[in-house]
Amino acid sequence: MKSTILAFAAAGLLASTAMASAEQVTLDLWTIDDPGEYHYVLAEEFMEEHPDITVNVRTVQFRDMVNDLARAVATGNGPDITYIDNPEVALFASRGLLLDLTPYIEKSEVVNAEDIYPGPLASVTWDGGIYGLPRGANTIALYYNADKFREAGLDPDNPPKTWDELYQAAKVLTKPEENAYGIAFSAVATEEGTFQFLPWLQMTGGDYDNVATEGGARALNFWKRLLDEGLASPDTLIRSQWDSTGTFNTGSAAMAISGPWELPRMSEEAEFDYRAALLPIPEEGAERASALGEGDNVILANSDNPEEAFLFLEFLYEQMPRVWNEFGYLPASRVEVNDPKTPTIYAVFEESMKYARNRGPHPEWPRISKAVQEAIQSTLTGQTDAGTALETAQQKIDGVLGE
Amino acid sequence: MAHFWSSIRDSRGFDALLVWLALGYLTVFSAFPLVYNFVISLQTVDLFSLASFDRPFVGLENYREVLSDPVAGTVLWNTIRFVVLSVVFQLLIGFGLALFFQQDFPGSSYLRGLFLAGWIMPALVVGAVWSWILAGDFGVLNYVLRSFGLIDENIFWLSDHQVSLYSVIIANIWLGVPFNMILLSVGLASIPQDLYEAAELDGAGAWQRFYTITLPLMRAPLGAVVSLGIIFTLQQFDLFAALTQGGPSNASNVAQYWSWQLSFQTYQISRGSVVSVLMIVFVIGVAAIYTRSTRYEQNY
Repeated sequence: MKSTILAFAAAGLLASTAMASAEQVTLDLWTIDDPGEYHYVLAEEFMEEHPDITVNVRTVQFRDMVNDLARAVATGNGPDITYIDNPEVALFASRGLLLDLTPYIEKSEVVNAEDIYPGPLASVTWDGGIYGLPRGANTIALYYNADKFREAGLDPDNPPKTWDELYQAAKVLTKPEENAYGIAFSAVATEEGTFQFLPWLQMTGGDYDNVATEGGARALNFWKRLLDEGLASPDTLIRSQWDSTGTFNTGSAAMAISGPWELPRMSEEAEFDYRAALLPIPEEGAERASALGEGDNVILANSDNPEEAFLFLEFLYEQMPRVWNEFGYLPASRVEVNDPKTPTIYAVFEESMKYARNRGPHPEWPRISKAVQEAIQSTLTGQTDAGTALETAQQKIDGVLGE
Repeated sequence: MAHFWSSIRDSRGFDALLVWLALGYLTVFSAFPLVYNFVISLQTVDLFSLASFDRPFVGLENYREVLSDPVAGTVLWNTIRFVVLSVVFQLLIGFGLALFFQQDFPGSSYLRGLFLAGWIMPALVVGAVWSWILAGDFGVLNYVLRSFGLIDENIFWLSDHQVSLYSVIIANIWLGVPFNMILLSVGLASIPQDLYEAAELDGAGAWQRFYTITLPLMRAPLGAVVSLGIIFTLQQFDLFAALTQGGPSNASNVAQYWSWQLSFQTYQISRGSVVSVLMIVFVIGVAAIYTRSTRYEQNY
């Protein structure tokens, strides 16, 4: 079987060198986008600029991407280029399945690794190599309903800056008789829960590999207090960020922690003055941190056309100044965004990007993340105290890191 | 060749052919996946080694790790509660409804048809509907209970760790009742009416007729419904995915969902296989009871 394929390949190679000038290169691209979104739009533009290259775009569901991609590379049917979510890059890079772009970037006139923000750069870096280029980034911040602030006698121009101020504001803004909570966030037992919690841990000096800290317990207990005192809905435990922020848009919560992907829907649904602020810090002068989301364009190691594939990656990277206005992500590198939509909120997210930290990197990230999720959930349901829960998580994480 | 064809034409060869077809089908689509699953549970398998057979053999190590996982105990106890409560209430309500519609009042057959609605709907749709009913802040059920003054504060059906498993059980009971009812209705219809008439003439009351005629003659259908109920309940995945995702904090996690989480969320495919192998062993036991109960089917 193999030898026949080789024979065909050899024949194909001979044929293609014979008519080298007319050669049409085809790149397969997998994405989580639907037609009309980032990859589809930009692949069209790229093909207009490079008529000799065809890009075949295929949509894969976000939740299936890792499974489908693993199966495809195992059977040799993988694409040339694909989108991968940030924390999954290490999984594929550690197995040598992604092309190391370092030599290409050195030669490139478009991509300069130093321009990429540290968080996004860390997400594509594995073992000294750079295995992808971020297509954009996102991070989280505190949205608040300025109208509700005014009604409650709070200053909408002076949103909560520390955890204490956040707690006080949430308390004043909670109105049980109107079924309105002070704040909405997500502590769901999925990657989203980890995504929301890690910045709180990082602000107190911890990180994914160091969770059993006093600061970690303090952060978890802060979350628990919000739930126990009814300042956030008990459904915080099962709601995604999107669903939680939905309650903010309808006025059932006065504040919400989420990312820029909420803005298109918020502009349609929220009939009030909504604004954004940086995530509050534990106390005045404490370290800042924020989450890093979105994903990367990577080339698979066994791609037949790495040169053309990198040309396409360069083209995508060049569009960074457009991503906020056209696709709703933040730029992942230092670029000038002309005339950004919702400029004040953009400014907050742009500032927040400076503190956005990558999750991991670690090839077994989902197991680390799961340990964090279990600590969050067992504390918030009152089954274990924060210290013990984080201790258990630390043991599991040490087990993964020690392998 | 001629011999082959003549053997097909005579009934003996044809019988054998049919048996081999069935056996072949079972081997490819049932036995192979079962054996493959068992083999995976003895190896170290991740996403990238799924396609090759050359994987490190670790014996019962995966079993040891799964069973010593602190979550295992919770999952086992949840699975037992989920299966027992679901099956008991599905059976009681299903049998009750079957007896009720057996009374043959005007419109009874139409009403019985209506009860099938839940069975026709895909479990994922049922899950979405129940998640609206059971939602904490804006749920239909909380609204109804509050309107009747039965509760003062909302019950968080899906996010309260003491309630969430029971919420899934309630939805699953609703989903399983029609199936129980239909199967038991068929059983009831096959009991000859003259038995009841004779008993009535001899002065047997309604309860006596139920205990001495209906129950003994329904033994086989009841056995079948119970064992199929256990198997269907152990298959129930969509409701968990739609309602609680096993949470909060594993409070509503059951074996079938945990197996999926291990395989496809943390990519510990061998461990997911271990859970499913253990479930298969249990289901084979239940299936054995089912085949026994149908073997002794009564003839009147």
